[in-house]
Amino acid sequence: MQTLADYYGETLKFDKLTSYCPGCGHGIVTRLVAETIESMGIREKTMSVVGIGCGGFSHHYLEVDAIEAIHGRAPATAIGYKVAMPDHVVFTYQGDGDTSAIGLHEIMHAANRGMPITCIMVNNSVFGMTGGQMSPTTIPGQVTTTSTKGRDVHIHGYPLLVPEMMRAMKGVAYLARETVVDVKSINRAAKSIRNAFECQVKGLGFAFVEVISPCPTGLHLSVPDAYAYAAKETLSYFKPQIFKNELEKSDEV
Amino acid sequence: MKETLFLKNTEAFAESMIRCGIRCHFAYPITPATDVMKYTSRMLPEVGGRMVQMESELAVSNALAGYACAGKLGATSSSGPGMTLMQEAIGFMAAGELPCIMLDAMRVGPGDGDIIGAQSTYYQATRGGGHGDYRVIVLAPSCGQEIAELMPHGIKLALTYLTPVLFVVDGVTCQMTETTTFDEPYDYTADFDTSSWAYTGTADHPKRFLLTGSYTHEQGYEMNERMRRKYVEISENEQMWEQEKVDDAEVLVVAFGIHGRMCKDLVESFRAQGKRVGSIRPITLWPFPNKAFESIPASVKSILVVEMNHGQMVDDVRLAVNGRVPVHFLGKTGGDIPMCTLADMTREASRLLEGE
Ligand code: SF4
Repeated sequence: MQTLADYYGETLKFDKLTSYCPGCGHGIVTRLVAETIESMGIREKTMSVVGIGCGGFSHHYLEVDAIEAIHGRAPATAIGYKVAMPDHVVFTYQGDGDTSAIGLHEIMHAANRGMPITCIMVNNSVFGMTGGQMSPTTIPGQVTTTSTKGRDVHIHGYPLLVPEMMRAMKGVAYLARETVVDVKSINRAAKSIRNAFECQVKGLGFAFVEVISPCPTGLHLSVPDAYAYAAKETLSYFKPQIFKNELEKSDEV
Repeated sequence: MKETLFLKNTEAFAESMIRCGIRCHFAYPITPATDVMKYTSRMLPEVGGRMVQMESELAVSNALAGYACAGKLGATSSSGPGMTLMQEAIGFMAAGELPCIMLDAMRVGPGDGDIIGAQSTYYQATRGGGHGDYRVIVLAPSCGQEIAELMPHGIKLALTYLTPVLFVVDGVTCQMTETTTFDEPYDYTADFDTSSWAYTGTADHPKRFLLTGSYTHEQGYEMNERMRRKYVEISENEQMWEQEKVDDAEVLVVAFGIHGRMCKDLVESFRAQGKRVGSIRPITLWPFPNKAFESIPASVKSILVVEMNHGQMVDDVRLAVNGRVPVHFLGKTGGDIPMCTLADMTREASRLLEGE
């Protein structure tokens, strides 16, 4: 009988329970990253730089060298690592708070710099680990512990569209927004994550994938309701799409 | 072959690190440290290295941390307010036991301060500007020549103790141009094997991961204890200072950096008049050279500490002296004339000699 380990190989670890809450989208995204690394055969030369927040634990479940960077600074740390080890693969795994609040500065400059690194931003529109506060990506009307009457754009501003901000940057080679709210979307997200790593291996430039994901705990919803909320409400603001794909061009050559 | 060059002391720092094997310099422009990056951007590519200009000091210091993770020794250079922004990552590197070499071309504070050179960052440098119980080894050269001489030692300390090593040089000294004789290039970083801890991919080692927080309370306790033991060891073994005519001195002048350099002339002119003045110039600010003060002779009536700030190192001198002798302070900072002159120092030391 085939076991999970046969399927995922050495990259994904099965020897401990994850710290993610039941039904959390992080579990899916972490698995997709593991599948990509495993199938590309790059595990031994891959380094994970994780942010602060629930996603910061992702490296506990991956058999790759890893460091936990300071709040928001993972892209800068990844750049330093890539300068030291240009032939290695380095990716950041960050949440929306880490990437788009405290770390917006680092992610934008990393994108614009165009150095071939891969950044994954798991966007569940809330600060999960600290207990459900408003994030830059909280959608209008969304209730959080710090927007108790729902996000009011006149008071709190609008949700931040990170890939849209990067779209014009020439250094960005792969840019996509995906989601894991249903099976079809998960398959598309798997492809984008793979492309984001391929882009780095081919040295084409910066690669970024935003993954819209449910946080049942932060949303105070049951798992099915959290997925339904993300599919309907969150995706109405954050439209999944591939903004840019330099791989296509490079494949034509 | 040795080579003597006529350089700004910021450039002497850059030249020293290149000659000693550092191949990557992360930086962000700030007066008066910018000359370091101008120099390395030109000179590092010639030896296969590079200067990486980042978008802020936050990014600089975190890129430096990422570079260090790979087991390589990188460098950065900044000034007062830039160092303030770097504190977060410096604490991270100390906790993660990641080595690096840094220069603080110290300038006046507080806040954003001014671009005038000063010694205002003594506390920040020696106390650990970030949170938690960590220290950074701090070297305080007083001229370009000493920067060149301390660089191999700084590299050795960084890679032996796996810790950031900070050179603090006041902005005035940094902008001085003087002759510095450099030793033949030698890659001191190559003397250290980092393969036992570097994050270089799992091809030749099982997975490694760097946590600078504690994943469990037990691990956190163990980590803090390990750090404490390391800092005790550094304190015990790595104190450095220079002293002049201490043995029979009545008044001891204590100063670091440029004021420390002036002490030589000060002591000489007092001695020419038969007056018993000696001096101690701390070279390591952390660990502070307590040993220099443990055995000061009974002839010492008082100590004068001179700094280019409102009194920071004076606290460490008082702790080292522990009430055995009165410790006085002379300091100046800010404005156009940020430092004490030789005349100021002479006047104060004379008063103390006369028992005032
Ligand atoms: S708090 Fe939210 S993001 Fe964090 S693990 Fe739980 S469900 Fe996932």
